[in-house]
Amino acid sequence: MNTLKRIFKARELSSLTFLLVMFLIVGAVNPAFLQIRNLFLTFNGSVVFVLLAVGISFVIITGEIDVSIGATLGLAAAVSATLLRGGSPWVVAVIAAVAVGVGVGLINGIGVTVLKVPSIIMTLGINGIVRGAIYVYTDGKWVENVPFEFKALSQASIFNTVTYFFFCTIVFMLAVHLILTKTKQGRHFAAVGDNMQGANLIGIPVDSTKVIAYIVSGIFAAIAGIVYVSRVGFVTPTAGSGYEMKAIAACVLGGISLAGGVGTVIGATIGAVIMASISRVLVFLQFSSDYDNTITGILLIVIVVADSLIQRRICEKARRERLSARTLSGVGGKCDE
Amino acid sequence: MNKRLLKEKLFQWENFLILILITEILIFGLLNPKFLQSRVLLGSINDFISICIISLFVTFVFITGGMDIQAGSIVGLTSISLGVLWQDAGLNIWTAAIIAVLIGAVCGAISGFLVAFTGVQAMVVTLGGQFLYSGIALAVVKLSSSSAFEGICGFPNSFISLATSKTLGIPNQVIIFVVLIILSYILLHKTKYGRYIFLCGINRNAAIYSGIKTKLIIMSTYILSGMSASIAGIVLTSYLGSARADLGKELTLPIITAVVLGGTSNLGGKGGVLGTALAAVVIGIMRFGLVMAGLPTQYLDIPIGLLLVVTVAARTVSGNTKLMKTIGKFIRKA
Amino acid sequence: MQVIGEPPISDTMISLHGICKCFSSNSVLKGIDLDVKRGEVVALIGGNGAGKSTLMKIIMGIYQQDKGDIYLNGEKVNMIKPSVALTHGIYLVPQEPMLFPNMTVEENITIGFPNKKAELHTRIVGIMDQLGWKIKLDRKANTLSIAEQQLVEILRGLLRDTKILILDEPTSSLTFNEVESLFKLIEDLKKKGICIFYITHRLSEVFEIATHVAIMRDGMITLKGPVTDFTKDDLVKGLLPPETKMKTSEKSEAIDYSKLKPILEVKKITGYGFRNINLEVYPGEILGVAGVVGAGRTEFATTIFGLDEVKSGQVIMDGEDITGASTRTVLDKGINYVPEDRYQNGIFKIGDVGSNLSSAFLRKSSKFFLNTKSEKQLAEDYIKNFRIKVTGQNQIMGSLSGGNQQKVVIGRALSTSPKVVILDEPTRGIDAGARGDVYTIINQLKKQGVAVLLISSDFEEIVELSDRAVIMYQGSINHSFNKEQINLDNLTAASFGVYEEDNH
Repeated sequence: MNTLKRIFKARELSSLTFLLVMFLIVGAVNPAFLQIRNLFLTFNGSVVFVLLAVGISFVIITGEIDVSIGATLGLAAAVSATLLRGGSPWVVAVIAAVAVGVGVGLINGIGVTVLKVPSIIMTLGINGIVRGAIYVYTDGKWVENVPFEFKALSQASIFNTVTYFFFCTIVFMLAVHLILTKTKQGRHFAAVGDNMQGANLIGIPVDSTKVIAYIVSGIFAAIAGIVYVSRVGFVTPTAGSGYEMKAIAACVLGGISLAGGVGTVIGATIGAVIMASISRVLVFLQFSSDYDNTITGILLIVIVVADSLIQRRICEKARRERLSARTLSGVGGKCDE
Repeated sequence: MNKRLLKEKLFQWENFLILILITEILIFGLLNPKFLQSRVLLGSINDFISICIISLFVTFVFITGGMDIQAGSIVGLTSISLGVLWQDAGLNIWTAAIIAVLIGAVCGAISGFLVAFTGVQAMVVTLGGQFLYSGIALAVVKLSSSSAFEGICGFPNSFISLATSKTLGIPNQVIIFVVLIILSYILLHKTKYGRYIFLCGINRNAAIYSGIKTKLIIMSTYILSGMSASIAGIVLTSYLGSARADLGKELTLPIITAVVLGGTSNLGGKGGVLGTALAAVVIGIMRFGLVMAGLPTQYLDIPIGLLLVVTVAARTVSGNTKLMKTIGKFIRKA
Repeated sequence: MQVIGEPPISDTMISLHGICKCFSSNSVLKGIDLDVKRGEVVALIGGNGAGKSTLMKIIMGIYQQDKGDIYLNGEKVNMIKPSVALTHGIYLVPQEPMLFPNMTVEENITIGFPNKKAELHTRIVGIMDQLGWKIKLDRKANTLSIAEQQLVEILRGLLRDTKILILDEPTSSLTFNEVESLFKLIEDLKKKGICIFYITHRLSEVFEIATHVAIMRDGMITLKGPVTDFTKDDLVKGLLPPETKMKTSEKSEAIDYSKLKPILEVKKITGYGFRNINLEVYPGEILGVAGVVGAGRTEFATTIFGLDEVKSGQVIMDGEDITGASTRTVLDKGINYVPEDRYQNGIFKIGDVGSNLSSAFLRKSSKFFLNTKSEKQLAEDYIKNFRIKVTGQNQIMGSLSGGNQQKVVIGRALSTSPKVVILDEPTRGIDAGARGDVYTIINQLKKQGVAVLLISSDFEEIVELSDRAVIMYQGSINHSFNKEQINLDNLTAASFGVYEEDNH
């Protein structure tokens, strides 16, 4: 009974319900949408966003923000694509990309914790710097001619439905989820986001937790960059630009609070799948996919506002019940003549 | 006492910005003497007028403790709306411009209402707004007979001259900027409304207990920022001679940089438009000067990002005595 | 306190030597020496700003001392961060609870422990049974009342194998029964040899549970020793600055109510946290509203002030019905309110003193443009009349002492020239000097014919100032007293619901 209650209270469940309802409605209008093949195409297409959203959710749960992941994705993609084109083994390319992610994350983390620059400012600045670095690195040119074998990786799939990328991403995400919820260190992220001073008081290393969150976010962005290279096959200097906003939107759709302390990576994943499927949904409803942004914006606002109003109502109700419980009911005081 | 006051005055952030500005102009002047001609210097504002206009009023939002990352998308929406209203609806261009400003106000009002009345974080609401308004802009394109790629062209000369000609030898854009600085300065620093904005940002509860209608005040700042974005959209359309839906897309970073660099706190309650105006010019001149010195435009985000991070870091670090001591020790050791 | 003949190996658990601390140029602690032995409960008392909390935060490693050393069991320890203090068995229960609002009670208590969940659970249940406290462990912390949060904080401290427990005003929001069980627990801990720092403002508690007492004033310990060496009067003397005498206002004449018409009438009003309240307030009187914390007084006041919903009843101000009016209308009709929580609802911390004083006044004085002249004049007047200690109108509010901040907030409330002023705990946490000034201000208001509603948990204050007093108990007014009947015994008895007519 208790577990059931908890499940119903879970915020990611409402996101999942939303996803299912959306799929069913689209399926009712256009049954082709609900074909297994198409559904998996939708899922497989969401890998980049899922990776970004899972990574950034670490930062958001600690109560900070990271708008540099789009540029990090671009730089990691450019670096790894250049290496691959040059004939380096893919292990080297992956290591180099991850190193980029760690580096950017570390700089962000130090800026936010040691230099105490507000996170939106810090990561916004770093976003510009990293984006510029892509131009410097690529000399403003596209990185093309990525080896065919590497591109083929993105198509490789299990039973012709689930790509290895999607499968690995989900496994990865579940592992991360377990670490976050079941281990001592993992719970530190939520604690820091929930009440920073309180976390400090009971001995949680606030600063290093935040730095780690930024590094994780950077690493996930870098991995997303590698997937991007494999899927797209070339890297432009603007690769990944604007993705940071979509990743943040995905987290919010998945029930993660930007105030910190609330949310799970499962929620982030569901949110990312919603985000990634919107343009596909539009096509199946025979709308132009140009309305992608409009729908995303409306969804984001409606969901968040509804959630906030419900939460506020619950809190207000609890407050009022508590206050009413304090008053003496039945006979009033002796003074009521 | 007097000495301390003098010292405080001297070390005001605005003065520091003026110093940076002068240094910038001198360096770029040395690199390329043409840069120092008043025609070039004043004309450079064409490249960053939108940042200047919008950041003035985004400052208001920041002071209430809010955040606005949607202004850039309103620029594109108003630009394309202006074009469609003129070309496809056949309105007079100036009527169309007024309606465009109203559209900006409505966009701001929607987001502002949600921020003020539902308690959702401003960052989330304006993120949603960014998606929504840029999406609507694309939808508006479909109403026009022109393609999104080309934009809408062929505006009357009277409209084009709004941003391109000069009055009394001064470029119109400079005049628009100065007028808006004066307006916003008076509004924020000399009126009751402006004071209420500060009080809301410092402590909203205490403002409520003082009988201030904080929700309306907060909402109004988003309306102002939306209107400023649409003014920027109109000026930009006039300058470029074409109305496009994707204008203003890259403005979020420079706008926030200008506001924060100008000394306004992103936590609310502190700041001013003079600092923002100076910072916007510092950024604009830097972009312009670097391009004149031969740096490719795509690289410009690097110095601006650095400027943002370094100044804010310096400001927070110098306010942190403990960290300063450690750094001092470190330097002495080395 | 060293007695000859004591064994050479002392059982001093923690020893502070010459602790000094400055914040910017403001010296908060000026050389604190203190030894605490096993099983001792040291009551630390002193006004706000005396440095008690700062000292405790240094012991906990939240702040670092500028000078001085901390010794634990004779060994010097460098408390660089809270985790160091925790590993040495020190735990601070802060004045304002610092829970994780989005976690459950159980998660809040157990986070940071390496132990198994099940084991911790049984231990928590055990402790709660022993104490008789009832909090559902799966509730989220953001649904807890302040008192419940405080209980959770204390549980947290108990679950750790704490050797040194610091309690910073733990009883300030607890109910009578909860306080009692907490005291029993402290007795228990005492026997187990745990040493406890107990910060409080209530002198009666000192004699009830402390073994030793230390009084702090202006960053120094002015008096310390075993509790048995002192009387209550000794402690009161120790708290006051040496030169000031206890300030008592001149006793005022009893008011002849027969000729007066009430300015504010409250008829059978019910809201959240109080019910069925009838009240008449007359011009030129001070009406005390006494009761324990949580009796519904603040809720009653804020509801009249237009901040919460009126469920039923009527509020009539000067003959006009203002039931359910907005705060702005209530202000315009001539009621103003000085909030209980100064920090949350009162001050504009990073604003200057001038704009703090004028925030409510602006509505009348300025139309569109700021009337800076009248604003300056207003600030000047209040700074002078209320003896607010500032370097100038431009001084930042946050840098003022608590007492001066409170004077500014009161000044703001008076700037709208109200006919009724509700003061909610106007002297909580301010030093004796400022308290005297606030009393003078209240008496001045009375002379000007303003009706004052004085909400206070400090019954001495009500006895000293009030012309009439009502007592709120569990959301209702259960008694009212006229001037002759107001005394500490009656107020206390009625507040705890045990007053009987023939009792006095």
